[in-house]
Amino acid sequence: MPSSTSSSSPQRPLPTIPMGRCALLAIAVLGVFLAIWEIHWRSQGAHGSYRNSEGLWAIQRRRIDHGEGADWVFTGSSRTLSDLQLDVWQQESGQRPIQLALEGTSPLRVMEDLAKDSHFTGTLLVGVSPNLFFSGFEFRKDVLDRYPRETPAQWSGQQISMWVEPYLAFYNFDFSLFTVLKRQPWPKRAGVQSRMDVRKLFNLDRDRNTRMWAKLETDVAYQDIAKQVWMDGFVPIAERKPEEIERTLRNRGKQIERAVAATKSLQSKGVEVIFVRHPSEGHYAVSEPMFYPREDTWDVLIEKTGALGIHWQDHPELQGFPLPEWSHMTAAAADRYSHALYHVMKRERQMRVADRL
Amino acid sequence: MLFNSLTFVVFFLLVLALHNAPLSWTTKKTNLLLASYLFYAAWNPPFVVLLWISTIIDWHVAKRLFAEQAVNRRRFLLAISVVVNLGLLGYFKYGGFLLENFVALSAMLGVTYQPPDWNIVLPVGISFYTFQTMAYSLDVYLKRAKPCTSFLDFSLFVTFFPQLVAGPIVRPSHLLPQFAQPVRATGQQRTWGLALMTIGLFQKIVVADGLLAPVADAAFQSTDLLHPVDAWLGTLAFSGQIFSDFAGYSTTAIGVALTLGFGLGDNFRFPYAAIGFSDFWRRWHISLSTWLRDYLYIPLGGNRKGKLRTYANLMTTMLIGGLWHGASWTFVVWGGLHGAYLAAERWLCAHFGNLRIWNTMGARIVLALLTYFLVNLTWVFFRAQDFPTAWRMLTTMLTLATDGKKVLNTAMIVEATLTISVMLLVHWRLRERRLEAMVSSLPNWLLGTVWGAMLGLIIITQGGSDAFIYFQF
Repeated sequence: MPSSTSSSSPQRPLPTIPMGRCALLAIAVLGVFLAIWEIHWRSQGAHGSYRNSEGLWAIQRRRIDHGEGADWVFTGSSRTLSDLQLDVWQQESGQRPIQLALEGTSPLRVMEDLAKDSHFTGTLLVGVSPNLFFSGFEFRKDVLDRYPRETPAQWSGQQISMWVEPYLAFYNFDFSLFTVLKRQPWPKRAGVQSRMDVRKLFNLDRDRNTRMWAKLETDVAYQDIAKQVWMDGFVPIAERKPEEIERTLRNRGKQIERAVAATKSLQSKGVEVIFVRHPSEGHYAVSEPMFYPREDTWDVLIEKTGALGIHWQDHPELQGFPLPEWSHMTAAAADRYSHALYHVMKRERQMRVADRL
Repeated sequence: MLFNSLTFVVFFLLVLALHNAPLSWTTKKTNLLLASYLFYAAWNPPFVVLLWISTIIDWHVAKRLFAEQAVNRRRFLLAISVVVNLGLLGYFKYGGFLLENFVALSAMLGVTYQPPDWNIVLPVGISFYTFQTMAYSLDVYLKRAKPCTSFLDFSLFVTFFPQLVAGPIVRPSHLLPQFAQPVRATGQQRTWGLALMTIGLFQKIVVADGLLAPVADAAFQSTDLLHPVDAWLGTLAFSGQIFSDFAGYSTTAIGVALTLGFGLGDNFRFPYAAIGFSDFWRRWHISLSTWLRDYLYIPLGGNRKGKLRTYANLMTTMLIGGLWHGASWTFVVWGGLHGAYLAAERWLCAHFGNLRIWNTMGARIVLALLTYFLVNLTWVFFRAQDFPTAWRMLTTMLTLATDGKKVLNTAMIVEATLTISVMLLVHWRLRERRLEAMVSSLPNWLLGTVWGAMLGLIIITQGGSDAFIYFQF
């Protein structure tokens, strides 16, 4: 009987050429390859910044569970991410907010999550982008799914990644090989519906403070690309099928109900919820009122929740900020807007207190 | 922990440094064992307990089996190992499936039964390590091997991190002897191991996730009847994706082990150049197919009990092989089709196998393409999330009706067509060769340049740490 400790030829065959020399050459080739790639992206105006990853969001979310649950928390979509500057807010309020806004994503799940979290007792500022908030769309569903079940390996991967992210321009989702390949001007295949992908718009700091990418602020051609993306696939309501419109209306009501329930739940544990409608223009000045008229959405939301609601159209101080691609503010404008919004909010809160008295 | 993650890069460098430090062999093995537990726990710490259960049970069972002579007691001891290992597998992997089928059966009989939600997380790689540890007890029971004398070596055999979660499924007689004596990788082994890791990660990150997965996903996630170009390219893309994903893992695992001085057997040998299905299964997931052959097909009687029984044994083995992959009837159909292919091939070979035409190059190419075509039909069941999707795909693929929906854009078509063409060409060219031999025939400058370019492409692809497909099995 053979012993289990008897071998069945464990030796693997090896190449007969000297692999060490090949390895040295490979390292040299890799160095040149990456240098060229990095130089290319820097020449496009990019520089190292933190990736807007699931792990980075999870780090901010965990701050609530680790002793900062009584502070300001921002949620919403990309307008809240880029238009609200944490440095300015910190100067004004004395607290650095936790930024949980996610681009292209309804904040309702974050609200529902925070409503259930006993650690959160602070103030919640909720950005309302009508197309997302009242549709419930979640472009970054993966982020919301990952946080509660993040593995130790994912956590450590995020920590390691953050060591290099600020130093490499190419280490960005928007510059990954297949993202770049996908957006080349391939010939169209008749009959295939495809949407343009959103391009890089922002740079992020370690705590997800987000500022518009300088290229988007100054490069008109790049602004036009962003505008095309926002308009891509738009079909006016008059051209939609009746059942589609009915579905949109039904869903709108459902999202408002979700928001009301989450807000009531937050308010019942002493959390102040403030809804903010940030400025938009151009295509959005047409599409947002078309599908989500203020009187049927925002006004209903504010009335039913009883929360403070700040709509940019109601306050001259919140108007006139430059939006290079109709939806987000330049970095400098975001600083001024954050300052203005803070003071509008402070005034409105004081008025509400006075009204109650 | 995934190979395609930054966590693994740091983990691997630390393990490599420790393994090459001036420490005793026992300390090095202990380090590897602890590293392996860490590797597994990095995904879900509590499930390390499952590894301990498998380790302790099979260690004691094998010792008792070896000492015991009474047939019934030996059977009882083996049953303990089988019940514990398959019990764990059954509970975590097949519990929900069984419950679902029980509910469906009850409904058919007019009984309405609403069970509580079966919300059990599947421990990663459980199918791999339960089969590996069972092989140890089975070997001792079948008197093919003696039990291991070192608990440390045995624990490391069960847990060895390079192949723990997705194979290759290693036999005790292959790996345990390598732990018995101190081994240290030579410079050539270490650099070739690193080259294999590069090839494996390139297959996974660039080919499987970058080039092919979006095409397969677009086709299989569609709820419409597709245009035949889309259905076929989606399926072909999946054939490339599943190969690159799984062979990528195996190649990386073999490379990691080699950098530490350990040899793992091949798990793939250019399977899409297979001529026939016996040949395919000698080239695809070799460690599983040989496991099923040695511990299921042969104990069932193999081909020793008459023709009909041989066909039945083939079918049983492949059906179970299908179910091993996942708790779904689509996997059973996948296995059943392979069983039917093997049985049909056996019959055809018995009746027409001696014709001279089969030795001509033209016939071999036609047979290889036919094999690949039929394998692709089985991949439809493997990839489809349900039977309606599988039927939809097959209907279009076989009828070539052109009124279906187009979901693939030009970029996807170009990427999938080029990738699959190159893959088939490489498989055919290397059909009778080993990768090491091919590499040895290349000039140094070319190999170094290709290696560097592959590393560069891996990095700029910025893979999203997508899990390997076989982790779910």
